[in-house]
Amino acid sequence: MKVRVRFFARFRELLGTDIPADPADGTSFDDLVREIARKNREGYNAIFDEHGSFRDFVILMRNGKRVEAADAGKTMLADGDEIAVFPPVSGG
Amino acid sequence: MPTSTGRSPPASSPPGRNSISAGRMMLSERERERYRRQILLFGEEGQERLSEAEIFIAGAGGLGSPVAIYLAVAGVGTLTLVDSDVVDQTNLNRQILHFDRNIGEKKTASAEEKLAELNPDITVRAVDARIDEGNAAGLVGKADGIVDCLDNYPARYLLNRVSLEKRIPLFHGAIRGMYGQATTLIPGKTPCLSCIFPTPPPAEVFPVVGVTPGLIGMVQATEVLKFLLGRGELLANRLFLWDGLAAQGSEVCVEKNPRCVVCGDGKGEHRRVRK
Repeated sequence: MKVRVRFFARFRELLGTDIPADPADGTSFDDLVREIARKNREGYNAIFDEHGSFRDFVILMRNGKRVEAADAGKTMLADGDEIAVFPPVSGG
Repeated sequence: MPTSTGRSPPASSPPGRNSISAGRMMLSERERERYRRQILLFGEEGQERLSEAEIFIAGAGGLGSPVAIYLAVAGVGTLTLVDSDVVDQTNLNRQILHFDRNIGEKKTASAEEKLAELNPDITVRAVDARIDEGNAAGLVGKADGIVDCLDNYPARYLLNRVSLEKRIPLFHGAIRGMYGQATTLIPGKTPCLSCIFPTPPPAEVFPVVGVTPGLIGMVQATEVLKFLLGRGELLANRLFLWDGLAAQGSEVCVEKNPRCVVCGDGKGEHRRVRK
């Protein structure tokens, strides 16, 4: 299946954006983000903490709808999905 | 105070500025000249509506500077600007309300001076205060809109709660480096700030170049004007993301979080803001 992965801000710098992915059926949101992030150690560490969990401020979205980090492992991807992963910024 | 329809009823009038006729504030001849080019865009009625409005700007820094400058020159009648900091040399790459000569002065005094020069036909209330749980609602008062020009989420969450309690829109903006984000939060119609950002990123001395808050501040100020004028489509239920490095703007849909601890099922876990 075809899934489009979009990283924003710092995550984009480290991992790129608009990444076309071709995951196997049964791949979860968590699986796919983790697999792509593994290509860059710094990128992986920006998104995941030392326990391998999504950092608590990271925002996850699937087709414009929020995915809770706790649900990312059971959120199965479907053909045509677009997922977005980004950190909020805080400066003013 | 506006309703959530995006209309702005009259706010209190700055004294000695213009006359009021049949309940409407009339523009002076000087104001008609000053605003002539934008009156072409939204008419005298629109300009009067701006003159009657009161906007609360939280922060007189990187975002607050361009937001205040452009709302001032657009003729928003009353601007309340709150900040507790002193101008530091390291601010000057982005905080364009403050000049080299203002180093060591209160940002509120520096801002008030510049805004009064930019537009003597508006009222500027610069309040030297740090926004906290005890004063947030009182500082916002009866403003028609709250512009989030802060640099930290704890204070943003306070304004978010005031926005919800008083049903005043919150125009959110934030930046880091060459990245920025903005969205317009209308109580009852959009998610609240905590729905979208339930957990803040770690506090840091953030890198920034002035063009980024300049751009995001312009998105916020444009939203304020549209809201006051009742024109166009607001940046509601959408989060604008700006990537200056890629020269690319994106947006993602945002929606209410039913489990939000501030406006959803989880509410009550936080102490409510006093009115």
